[in-house]
Amino acid sequence: MTESVAEPAVSMRNERVDRDEVFLEYTKSICPVCKVVIDAQVNIRGGKVYLRKRCKEHGPFEALVYSDAQAYVDSARFNKPGTLPLAFQTEVKDGCPSDCGLCPEHKQHACLGLIEVNTNCNLDCPICFADSGHQPDGYSITLEQCQRMLDAFVAAEGEPEVLMFSGGEPTIHKHILDFVDLAQATPIRNININTNGIRLASDKRFAAALGERNGRNGKAVNIYLQFDGFEERTHREIRGKDLREIKRRALDNCAAVGLTVTLVAAVERGLNEHELGAIVEYGIAHPAVRSVAFQPVTHSGRHVEFDPMTRLTNPDVIALITAQRPQWLRKDDFFPVPCCFPTCRSITYLITDGTPGQPDFVAVPIPRLINVEDYLDYVSNRVVPDYGIRAALEKLWSASAFMGTQTTEEKLARTAEIFDCGPDGSCGIDLPVAARDLAARAFMIVVQDFQDPYTLNVRTLMKCCVEEITPDGRLIPFCAYNSVGYREQVREQMTGVPVADVVPNATPLQPLVTQSPHGSKIAAPDVANVGVSPVRLGPSG
Amino acid sequence: MNSHDDVKACCAAVYGRNAVALILGDSYHPGGSGLTRRLGRALEVRSGMRIADLACGPGATARLLAAEFGAHVDGVDLSAVAVARASAAAADAGMAAQVRFHLGDAEALPLPDGCFDAIVCECAFCTFPDKATAAAEFSRILRRGGRVGITDVTVADRGLPAELTDLAGWIACIADARPVEEYSRILAGAGLRTTLIETHDELVLRMIDQIQARITVLQIAAPHRLVEAGVDVDSVEHYLRLVRAAVEDSLIGYTLLLAHKPGQGQE
Repeated sequence: MTESVAEPAVSMRNERVDRDEVFLEYTKSICPVCKVVIDAQVNIRGGKVYLRKRCKEHGPFEALVYSDAQAYVDSARFNKPGTLPLAFQTEVKDGCPSDCGLCPEHKQHACLGLIEVNTNCNLDCPICFADSGHQPDGYSITLEQCQRMLDAFVAAEGEPEVLMFSGGEPTIHKHILDFVDLAQATPIRNININTNGIRLASDKRFAAALGERNGRNGKAVNIYLQFDGFEERTHREIRGKDLREIKRRALDNCAAVGLTVTLVAAVERGLNEHELGAIVEYGIAHPAVRSVAFQPVTHSGRHVEFDPMTRLTNPDVIALITAQRPQWLRKDDFFPVPCCFPTCRSITYLITDGTPGQPDFVAVPIPRLINVEDYLDYVSNRVVPDYGIRAALEKLWSASAFMGTQTTEEKLARTAEIFDCGPDGSCGIDLPVAARDLAARAFMIVVQDFQDPYTLNVRTLMKCCVEEITPDGRLIPFCAYNSVGYREQVREQMTGVPVADVVPNATPLQPLVTQSPHGSKIAAPDVANVGVSPVRLGPSG
Repeated sequence: MNSHDDVKACCAAVYGRNAVALILGDSYHPGGSGLTRRLGRALEVRSGMRIADLACGPGATARLLAAEFGAHVDGVDLSAVAVARASAAAADAGMAAQVRFHLGDAEALPLPDGCFDAIVCECAFCTFPDKATAAAEFSRILRRGGRVGITDVTVADRGLPAELTDLAGWIACIADARPVEEYSRILAGAGLRTTLIETHDELVLRMIDQIQARITVLQIAAPHRLVEAGVDVDSVEHYLRLVRAAVEDSLIGYTLLLAHKPGQGQE
């Protein structure tokens, strides 16, 4: 019979088979071993987003980049048109990511600039993307170098919103207070100091000196404090030491001199994943703390061995927070940040009242009060309900948003306009009073995943708005600086000591890597064509 | 006044009141502008089309359809306060020529026969006491081939829990919601043929979340205002809990429904 053509055994042999993935993007990345620029593709498989690439020399690589494919695709609408900086520092020559930067092809200005003042640190953490520590071959910048870096930032941005001093450990630089003074003498509005808190815990005069500078001429000096959790094991495995008492003293010293603190937690699989809710709760309760930033451990620089296919991404961190504090937060309370690529960073703000743990404590996420999507969708919306509120939300959902700065407080106050309602315009509420009250009660939660040599996607990198300022006056996107070879280049230029390219300590790369002098991994001597990234061979880098 | 008029007057008065503005803010219906856009796309609203927005409230939908779709919109509402706010907002936005607002009753529309390409009616059909008359009015003002787009509260065949049907005031506004099939039958009785039904139940939960968030923040920032506006927070929260439970039990839902008036269209 003719119907019998559908005989299973026959059709099995001739049937075409579908791929198990949706092909989403074609882009560029780098080989994590030799750092050469290679083609890459982004695919969705099993509801997750992966980046895959192949180096002719070192083989295929694949890594998880976002564990919620739906959110990855949906967030494309929240991609804000970039803003041109006032000046670019390099020319387009070899293409991204070899021309940093910023080159004229970069799609966004710098929302946040970083100056690493040294490579030395008073800790030797097993996890450090800057590969810092007690090292004999490091560098510290001079006052003149700092001034040049500040000038480059101001030339590019005019009135930069935020500058962060980092390291190394910036508080052990003998000129750190002078650097703050230099920065405050420029048009830069606010300063953040990224620190492990050891000096703040032990040196009250230092804390007081920062406190005096905080708010000078309306310019904030805020603290960005490493704070990974409450368990001894968390401290030992991420920082190599039990720093719990030091963190507590540092926070109390900050509170005593009126410094505003962001708790910054590196989140590691199987280590402190269960502590995220407790960190938020501790932050809300502490008088110095106005925000928490969660960063999946960055697999650049020094870190423990990891599996690129199961690394933590932003949706995982958000899922952990919401599972641990479901009474306060759920997934859609976090909103992607439109200034960089929306998959890099998500933020929410809570309006809180009372003390966590007490029965009358309440926390309301701002995205439940304002339909943020109505304002920050740049693709489907042609009518925005209120452009003033959009401008406020753009500042709040930005890499330049830090609690305790005038800009952030002002923009938070604008959220009180949700009560601008009713026939008489305000529902009878004293808006200025309500606005100040709401701004003062706001608590910010940031989730930020940095790219590493495995996950680097040039499409995303081209819109990065967090820039490392180099002593020679370049502004290099943070993830390029840490993944492509620029960090090694700058260190080598500054110290005169050769620095081999750092290779991720990934499980599949174990046969190819060996220990570097700083504790990170570098290519083993018998691996072909490695050691110095192609970006370091050109005249400017 | 008969009981129908009581309900209508209640709804109009309630939605014009400060207390409701205080609690609802700008989101007078589940789904907000996102669902309004979806409705506009489903209706295939195009530039120059003439749209009637029935129970238009303060006019956000009318302005959106004009600005994003290029439509000419006539909004009708039973509340003079809402019509005044809508007219003022349209004038502020420089849209007075493109959107106009009229005081009127959906069951006796102050609009001419056969002139409209489409009608939108968001979260309001359920509040019309005489739905058959309202549907006949829809049909009267539509041209042949015109379309109705409704988003509204639906209830399961077994109806609402008793506690939700006998609550007073603005709460009564959802007490007359019907199963979606019944909305379709009512429209069919006026010669309007249902062509699309989409379920958006989760949007009711989002709206409840938003109301609860607003009330909580108002309690923090301006507790005296809630008292002055006559908002009994405990009873509002009790009511919201009942509605949430009803949504979770599939007793209450939210639906987008499209119906066509037969005849030659421009499609």
